[in-house]
Amino acid sequence: MLFRPNSSSGVPIYLQLMEQVKHAVETGALREGDQLPGIRPLAEELVMNPNTVAKAYRELEHEGVIELRHGAGAFVTRNARAGKLADALRAAQTAVASTVERLRSRGISDEEIRRLVEAELAAPNRKGGRRG
Amino acid sequence: MLWYKSWLETRWRFLIGLGLLICSAWVMVFTYPQVLKLMPMISRDGGGELGQRIREAAELARTFRGFVWSDWFHRNHSQLATLFAILLGTASLLRPSGGALYLLSLPVSRQRLVAVRATTGLAELLVLALLPALLIPILAPAIEQTYGAGAALVHGVCLFVVAAVFYNFAFLLSTIFSDPWRPPLIAGAAAIALSLTDRFIPFFRVMSAESYFRRGALPWGGLLAAGAIAAALYYAAAANLARRDV
Amino acid sequence: MAEDWIIEAADVRKTYADADALRGLDLCVPRGSIAALVGRNGAGKTTLIKILMGMARPTAGLARVFGLDAASPPESVEIRRRIGFASEEKDLDGSMTVEGMIRFTAAFFPRWRPDLQQRFLRKFELPPRRRVKALSRGMRTKLALLLALCRGAELLILDEPTAGLDPAMADEVLQTIVAHVMDEETTVFFSSNQIAEVEQIADRVTIIDRGRAVVAGAIDELRERYCRIQMVFEDAAPAAAFRAPGVERVQRDGRVLTVLSSRGSAAVLEEARDLRPLSTEVRPVNLKEIFLESVAGED
Repeated sequence: MLFRPNSSSGVPIYLQLMEQVKHAVETGALREGDQLPGIRPLAEELVMNPNTVAKAYRELEHEGVIELRHGAGAFVTRNARAGKLADALRAAQTAVASTVERLRSRGISDEEIRRLVEAELAAPNRKGGRRG
Repeated sequence: MLWYKSWLETRWRFLIGLGLLICSAWVMVFTYPQVLKLMPMISRDGGGELGQRIREAAELARTFRGFVWSDWFHRNHSQLATLFAILLGTASLLRPSGGALYLLSLPVSRQRLVAVRATTGLAELLVLALLPALLIPILAPAIEQTYGAGAALVHGVCLFVVAAVFYNFAFLLSTIFSDPWRPPLIAGAAAIALSLTDRFIPFFRVMSAESYFRRGALPWGGLLAAGAIAAALYYAAAANLARRDV
Repeated sequence: MAEDWIIEAADVRKTYADADALRGLDLCVPRGSIAALVGRNGAGKTTLIKILMGMARPTAGLARVFGLDAASPPESVEIRRRIGFASEEKDLDGSMTVEGMIRFTAAFFPRWRPDLQQRFLRKFELPPRRRVKALSRGMRTKLALLLALCRGAELLILDEPTAGLDPAMADEVLQTIVAHVMDEETTVFFSSNQIAEVEQIADRVTIIDRGRAVVAGAIDELRERYCRIQMVFEDAAPAAAFRAPGVERVQRDGRVLTVLSSRGSAAVLEEARDLRPLSTEVRPVNLKEIFLESVAGED
């Protein structure tokens, strides 16, 4: 279910991994109480640095998405946002689809659309802006 | 394990050399009766310098002991032993393949690498020098002759000490050049040069223990000098490899 | 302090007859990390590794492993006893068999791990009785890796471990290294010119160019620090000089001004405001771009 982060992307790998987990939780692929793969097997499977996996898990725990039960592993926490966010995501999907459609019809290429979105996300000094 | 590796590296040269030298000794012993029969055919005079040398050799060949010295210790044995001393001394210490670089990455000091490789080859050289020589007293009775084991031993040891110089020279060259051709070629050229100047620099006369053969006097001076030179060459080789980058 | 760094190089210089291979290289690797040394061919990677292994001596400067001096022959022997080393696979003895090479190597390492030996022999499918010279390149690389990993070493030094391997084999090698690091708590120091694999498994990187370290640090931290700020102007982009610290490169291209910063975007954006660009974009920079930027410039 978790796939290899893109090492060529500028986004730090641990963030990509966190995103994958959060996305899985939001779409309902991972539910409350589900166990995540252990750090070691996951690092081995994805051929990633184990420290990076550990960091991702620590940050996820910090954000309350998962909890690390000593000796037992990593588990998805009771995350009431899961259900609501699944709905929010569905609505977001529609919004994005129509925006992309509109921009395309104005002759803006997919590459430019992608860059506009990335720039919007990366720009600081905006509410809810750049992560990290 | 280093000893085993050194053995693997040198064993064919050693075995071939040993085989050749044993054959050479064998052939020499068993052709002596023929030589004796041919003696009267050598004319008494004429022939110039070459004729002189042939008569000299014939004179020596009257006795088995003389024949063994002039035909073998002074010639075949010396030449073959020098050749194989050079071949054995050519070590693959710096070669880019064959595991030489791998050895240098192991937790052994270069001193130890050099010592083990040098000792293995020298031990093999000692066998090459002594074993065929000791074969002569054993085979002599088969042609109704005798040869002293002590004499064979003396000749063998003298041969070894001087051959060791060539061995260590080739070994030193192996710590300078990483290709397999230059060490034996250079050492071989040196050996040939020395054989030509034998009158002035008595390398080969000490090797064949000429003074012992003729007068029973061991060439102590020559042996000590050879030993000292061999030792110096070894230390130079060790020092060279110690500071060499690979 | 010396013990914190498992590898430490301070102003290391190495001059050969025809070239300066290293011109004052600084490097440090903490225990427990997977550290990469990245550089173009001829930048000095192999030279540094040879110095750490005691196979070459530095002309000047200090190189330490486990706190021991790599330039001192007796200390270097001790260093090599505790390192699992794999360099070019052609350095192996071609005439030995696979099991011969294993037995030979094991004799030098009292902490040899027969359990790992069995595991890797099976995993890599190495035929024990085949001679090394009859092995394919990939098999030889795997054998070299086995010989390094079974030594029970605290530190692995690998010189271009995936060179010449197809992607599947390269992945297998990387996966083996990652698994080994976790199981055995080893530190890894490897050289590579494959940026992708470095980003994948390393947590620290040192970029070496022309004998010097030009960028060094934790990879995540580098990715957070480096960014590209792109400004579009109404007319031709101004020839602005940015005084903000960390500005690595400023490029003007028609109406576009691009600034590469190694210290975040805030300071540059401050200065940029005065120039009144039409639009500003801040984009992340990956390790490959950092590498290309760091080794491209003239001295």
